[in-house]
Amino acid sequence: MICYNCGAALSEKDFCTSCGAEVGMYKKILSLSNRYYNDGLEKARVRDLSGAIVSLKQSIKLNRNNVDAHNLLGLVYYEIGEVVEALGQWTISINVRDTKNIATDYINLIQQNPGRLDGMNLNLHKFNQSLALCYQDSLDYAQIQLKKILLGTPKYLKARQLLALIYIRLEQWDKAKSELDKCIAIDTGNTITLRYIREVDQMLAPEDGFNASRKKEKEKVRVYQSGNETIIQPVNHGENRAISVLLYIAMGILIGIAIALFLILPGKIQEARASSHEELRIVSEQSDAKTATIDELELQISKLQAETERLNEDLKEMAGKDGAVGVSDALMQAATAYVNDPNDIASVAEALELLEVPEGEEETVKSESFKVLYDKLMELDRESLASYYYDLGYSSYRAEEYAEAIPNLRRAYEYDNENGEALFYLGNAYRYNGEEDKAKETYAEVIDNFPDTERASRSETYLAEINNQE
Amino acid sequence: MLDFEEELRKFHPSVEVEDAEEAIFSQDMTDIADALIQVIGKKTEKEDGE
Repeated sequence: MICYNCGAALSEKDFCTSCGAEVGMYKKILSLSNRYYNDGLEKARVRDLSGAIVSLKQSIKLNRNNVDAHNLLGLVYYEIGEVVEALGQWTISINVRDTKNIATDYINLIQQNPGRLDGMNLNLHKFNQSLALCYQDSLDYAQIQLKKILLGTPKYLKARQLLALIYIRLEQWDKAKSELDKCIAIDTGNTITLRYIREVDQMLAPEDGFNASRKKEKEKVRVYQSGNETIIQPVNHGENRAISVLLYIAMGILIGIAIALFLILPGKIQEARASSHEELRIVSEQSDAKTATIDELELQISKLQAETERLNEDLKEMAGKDGAVGVSDALMQAATAYVNDPNDIASVAEALELLEVPEGEEETVKSESFKVLYDKLMELDRESLASYYYDLGYSSYRAEEYAEAIPNLRRAYEYDNENGEALFYLGNAYRYNGEEDKAKETYAEVIDNFPDTERASRSETYLAEINNQE
Repeated sequence: MLDFEEELRKFHPSVEVEDAEEAIFSQDMTDIADALIQVIGKKTEKEDGE
């Protein structure tokens, strides 16, 4: 202890032996400050942190230069999560004594880990937010925020107390009790914590008196002597047995029904659903298979139809070939008739008429032997045939039977291209028969093939007449 | 039964790091020892004046 006036060490006297200043009261104040510090230290050792804070603040109030009190107060603040308060106390402590001061180590320890300091500061900020949320009656959000804070700083006493208070407000007594138990583990002497605990305990066990009386009632027993023995029998034990048995049976039935409803029945329903799904799947697969078979059969039908059509075409072609065979037969027939009797022109002509291709149809392909035979026959009998047909045609023409005359006159001209008469009469037959287009073509042919003849001149006249009529 | 609003008023915002400097400087650091020294000083001056 040093003199406040000159800084000299003080003795047991009430004045300074160096400068003479009165130090009696001063020494008592410093001693009182030290006593409060000791009290704070004792309380801190038994985790009565709230009590320690009060004592240490008192110590500092008496002597602001009490470095130990500042340092211990900082530690206590740090323990309950008030980091800034702790730093403040340690800073003041260093300001009072900047050498050989443990506070320097404390501050260095915190400053060396800036991430941790930031985390602590963030939690302080979150706590302030939570407090504001509580004032706004947003207890759910505040609760969530406080839980997050306590995950990072589990010894943050004020935050835990606030969380407990929220639980009390929400009447979640068990949770409040749990938080308060943790609070009391941090600070055993905190009056807020103790008050909350008393409140929660009252809420958690309000029926204590009732329970006690029930216990006493239960403890009532019947005591009687049987010979030398004292029999102690609970009252109503025997009477209630039958009712108890019935109750147990009823409860057993109810439990059985409940098990059936909640455990067995859902399983059965699930099984039935699975079975129906399986059947549906099988039916669906079968349906798909049948659909595929139907598609395949339809494809086969269309192929067979195509084959049938192709065969019909072939058949038609074959029929055409048969026709060719028929033509050959007709030629053979004509040749046979000529061989049998060269003068029987009518038979030859009749057979050769079968070779004629109907108007609008294509001429069938003739074989080489056919052509040779036909040419030979024409070489031998062409003139006779031309004459035969001309006579027939002209007779019909004269008899005004123009329809009969037309084919014969045409054949006559085909067999003999020099026969202009036949062609001229053919044109007339067409004209009289009302076939004016063919008549015009025929007259034109006469004009072209037999120019400077009377027939050509007359053909021109008839052609002009037909044109004028149109 | 606790009064929630009343209890809530007993909670004060924590001092954050940003406000630490201001909080330290704004502390009333006057102690009883200082007060006593002032009283003794005034008393001595008065005696010297007489």
